[in-house]
Amino acid sequence: MSTVLFTLLLGLPIAGTVLCALLRGRKPLEVVTVVGSGLTLCSGVWMMWKVITEGVVSSPQGWWYADGLSAYIILIVSGSAFVVALYSTGYLRRQIRNKKVDDQQLWLYYLLINVFLFTMMLVLLSNNLGFLWIGTEATTLATAFLVAFYERESSIEAAWKYVILCSVGITLALFGIILTYFSALHVVHVSGNALLWSSLIQVAKELDPGVLKLAFIFVLVGFGTKAGLAPMHTWKPDAYSEAPAPISALMAAGLVNMALYALMRFSILVNRAVGEGFTSTLFMIFGLASMAVATPFILAQRDFKRLLAYSSVEHAGIIVFALGIGSPLALFGALLHLLNNAIAKILLFLTVGNVQMAYDSKIMRKVTGAIKVVPVSATFLMIGVFALSGWPPFGMFISELTIISAGFSSGAVVQVIAFIAILATIFGGFIYYTSKMVLGEPSAAAKGGDAGKWSLVLIGLLLLALLVLGVSIPPPLKMCIECAVNVFKG
Amino acid sequence: MGIANLQSIGLVIDILAAAILVTAFLIVSSRNLVFYIRLFAIQSLLLGVVALLVVVGYGEMHILIAAILTIVIKAVAIPLVLTKIIERIQVQKEIDFSINITVSLLLCGGMVILADSVAQSILSVQRPDIPAVSRVLSVSIAMMLIGLFVMMTRKKALTQIIGLLTMENGVFLSGLSITYGMPLIVEVGIFFDILVAVLILGVFIFRINKTFDSISIDLLRSLRH
Repeated sequence: MSTVLFTLLLGLPIAGTVLCALLRGRKPLEVVTVVGSGLTLCSGVWMMWKVITEGVVSSPQGWWYADGLSAYIILIVSGSAFVVALYSTGYLRRQIRNKKVDDQQLWLYYLLINVFLFTMMLVLLSNNLGFLWIGTEATTLATAFLVAFYERESSIEAAWKYVILCSVGITLALFGIILTYFSALHVVHVSGNALLWSSLIQVAKELDPGVLKLAFIFVLVGFGTKAGLAPMHTWKPDAYSEAPAPISALMAAGLVNMALYALMRFSILVNRAVGEGFTSTLFMIFGLASMAVATPFILAQRDFKRLLAYSSVEHAGIIVFALGIGSPLALFGALLHLLNNAIAKILLFLTVGNVQMAYDSKIMRKVTGAIKVVPVSATFLMIGVFALSGWPPFGMFISELTIISAGFSSGAVVQVIAFIAILATIFGGFIYYTSKMVLGEPSAAAKGGDAGKWSLVLIGLLLLALLVLGVSIPPPLKMCIECAVNVFKG
Repeated sequence: MGIANLQSIGLVIDILAAAILVTAFLIVSSRNLVFYIRLFAIQSLLLGVVALLVVVGYGEMHILIAAILTIVIKAVAIPLVLTKIIERIQVQKEIDFSINITVSLLLCGGMVILADSVAQSILSVQRPDIPAVSRVLSVSIAMMLIGLFVMMTRKKALTQIIGLLTMENGVFLSGLSITYGMPLIVEVGIFFDILVAVLILGVFIFRINKTFDSISIDLLRSLRH
């Protein structure tokens, strides 16, 4: 039974990749990608169900492994991929009509989305930490040409910086993994098992604390680079602003969460070996630093996709900060925020993509009066920004409130006050820029033409989801998150 | 294998590790892109030989394939690809520095001392099964630091690739020294990733060259804030 699930989750994206490699023409590529990612999402739901009812799922030889945490992240990542695949169909049709994209690029786009989904599943399902590393580096490589998609000078520059920085980070993380392997070798006597999560977690208490602390620092820097934590975040604004809007959405909602997942996994192991304090302190420092570093760039920004990229740095910081607090309530808040952030980021990157196409610019000065040019997208943008800034009645209000109250009750008062101050400042910046874009008289550059009906319905549904999450957390979701939080307790 | 033989293999590995460190220093002091690539090829070849000696001396057969891959991919294939690239785009082969050679070498000397102290703290764990080759751990950490230094201070796109690969070589050597290398399938996956990364970066170099008429990353500065 479990073998079927692993085969589906890994096999569907591989099948999608192979089919896309063989097929030509817009229609078949669209069908393969949408159906493939949709079925992956269904398998993800099945996996979550199995983990909730039966506990940890692993394959017979111990290659693959899923518990509440991985199943929950798989849900978010495959869900994001499905939504982005749906939106991409309309987006690329319009790009082809505007002669921005040719058939060859279209093919590459769908092919690489499938490869990207496969590499993320590889990371999330690996029991072997070495495979987790290989998958993470592969996500960078799979997205390299997607970032450079428009082949402008600036997009090649962004892609270069992205591949180089993430590869350096991940090389350092590999040293961290080798140190973990070294410390496990004399406890786990079968050397093939010393990299397996399932055996490491059982012997965690016997691992050498000193070596594991050093390992965690390297892992934090490495996967922190992928998650875009400051000061390793500098690739993010470039890559997000140069990539096509749906790809930025998938990176902000999928890739970041996958990297955060890797950090959570390692922190669980290190916490058992050295006690809670060590990872908590580091997480709090990196979390608050990421939020603080993002703030000035959000307040003085001219490009709205870069604005969202810095918001992604900020929200990765929020989640890592919550991990640093570490109480079950804070972890619940962090995992809920992961979902809220994924939905809000997709929502905003897609609406901003619509606006960008209508104005043929992503410079905020050139975009004014969007409410008259693309009324529906502009409305979604304005509401979406309130949702992203943590206003009620949207989901992020609940998750941020959870994190704040968890912080106060565990005594991190000063840190939480800094946290709230940064959130408020960033909210001000966002509202200032968005209202200038949405309101006022349309600029001359506006060509008009909103996205198709179905793309807008899709974005509307995302907004609805944030609204539902803000009113009350649906019981099934609560069960999923609690199942994931239990992994931390062990 | 006899104790005497093992000791002499250990000695040879120490000498090779020293030679590997020398190639890293020569990379730092080199002014010419062609030398960079050749030095990297020699460095990888020496690394492959160290891996082979671990196979022969300590009976770690699973490293044999990784050793062969090191020689085939890192010492032959990647240098060939990189050489082809600089021939094709006819780049100016002199490298600009943001820190001059003397200061660079002094800084790298400092890094070796730092690397040694980190290595000593890792190896201070009292355990009976620490591999005999763990002495070269400090060399491997020094290579990671020097690779990072090359990436930060040398301004050609190609030198960034060489810096990254030097870091990778350092990480591979660290794996050899304290664990006799990771399990085979993991090592193979890592090699695959490195090869694909170099190919992708190579494609980008062509494109950068096409749009900027140079591959100096100084020109990669249009994106800010």
